[in-house]
Amino acid sequence: MDDIDVPLIRNEYDIIIIGAGPAGSIAAKEAAKRGASVLMIDRRKELGAPVRCGEGLGMKHVEAMGIKLAPQAISANINGARVIAPDLKHDIVIKTPETKGYVLDRKVFDKDLAKDAGRAGSQIAVKCEAYDLISEGGRIAGVKCIHNGRRRDVRAKIVIAADGAESIMARLAGMKDAVSTLYDTDYGYEYELVNVKLQDGGRDFSDLIEIFFGKEWAPRGYTWIFPKGPDSANVGVGIGGLEKPNAIHYLHKFMLADGVKHRFENAVPVACKGGAIPVGAPVKEFCADGFMVVGTAAHQVDPIHGGGIGLAMNAGRIAGIVAAEGAADNKVDKQTLDRYKKEWYDAEWSKFNKRLMLRKVLEKLSDEDLNAIIGNLSSEDIDKTLGGDFKPVVEKVLLKRPQLLKVLSALLNF
Amino acid sequence: MAVKIDHSKCIYCGACVATCPYLALRLNEVYVEVFPDKCVECGLCTKACPTGCMSLPEKK
Repeated sequence: MDDIDVPLIRNEYDIIIIGAGPAGSIAAKEAAKRGASVLMIDRRKELGAPVRCGEGLGMKHVEAMGIKLAPQAISANINGARVIAPDLKHDIVIKTPETKGYVLDRKVFDKDLAKDAGRAGSQIAVKCEAYDLISEGGRIAGVKCIHNGRRRDVRAKIVIAADGAESIMARLAGMKDAVSTLYDTDYGYEYELVNVKLQDGGRDFSDLIEIFFGKEWAPRGYTWIFPKGPDSANVGVGIGGLEKPNAIHYLHKFMLADGVKHRFENAVPVACKGGAIPVGAPVKEFCADGFMVVGTAAHQVDPIHGGGIGLAMNAGRIAGIVAAEGAADNKVDKQTLDRYKKEWYDAEWSKFNKRLMLRKVLEKLSDEDLNAIIGNLSSEDIDKTLGGDFKPVVEKVLLKRPQLLKVLSALLNF
Repeated sequence: MAVKIDHSKCIYCGACVATCPYLALRLNEVYVEVFPDKCVECGLCTKACPTGCMSLPEKK
């Protein structure tokens, strides 16, 4: 009995994708659609779980991917963002096309994306853990995995690593910067809570994601309240890796803080989650011979809000297309595959780079600076800043706080 | 010796795995596993851990 082979898995594919999150599933779908033979593997027994994410996703990313969200995949519709100053008093509400989106139910969302990949013709193996890469003549030629307890070597022309923040596969492929460093990573802890008050002081925040800044609450990161329904929310924090003691400490401190604690009076958790959030630059190389890395594994995560789903899906889409074409032409060298890196940079880098710069500046602002700034900016100001047009806001801030000239000049010279 | 994990606090999020430069940690489906032969007790994972569940063995 033990020797009966696990059905449905062959020994060779055009493309193997490791990790069935958003990046992996979109890559699998796009590659399979183009006729490549694709196997997507995941160590988990159920795709989508466990969740380790705030679950926010901008509407523009959904539209760009041409995917249709099932009603069950949406926990809450979001019309804007509320940014709260460290004093927990001053705030700005931003409602623009950019801030429209969803708080997802990732368990449903991820599984639906994987189903789409399966429908497009990709094979999927769950309970299948990659533990090493097969290298041959300097190129990656497949994956060593354990599937339902059986060790298997599965060969492929191209391996796409979509294994998330741990990014083990990219590191095994020699990409040393795929490790998360304390300096360039935020570490997060989050509760999914019920009985959260999403209304406060006569205002309704149930269609807003709320973002709290301040060294007291989230040094080198931020605290969030993302609605999951009329009375429930993901409430979490990400802090810089060099901060002490740890994320859970800051989340509990926030939930007990005057100014917000009345909103959590009766709150009870139904889940706790955590994780590493790479918030520095993406990894230097996206490709090697026969190998590509996508999504959070490639540190393709927004440096300001730490969101990764949108960037991951676009990377998966581009990588899936490039891989399918490379496999069809039997051209899987780094130079050919690097078209993925070029197209991703063309699409994302100008905005990404500005956000890296903005993050560096934000980190230098004191709580007093933030209290003064957030109290004085309008929704349009923030919209412009997030879009990379720094000048009008910098000028406005400098009028109030001229002492920030040195810190903010980085943005003016950009 | 190697880093110690308090499994009563660990939420198996993998933050330590992402941060370990030595690939001495692994997140399997149920828990975080330490490979003692790879761990050099550098302590990076103890700083990364969001719940504070990791600790270095006491120096003798």
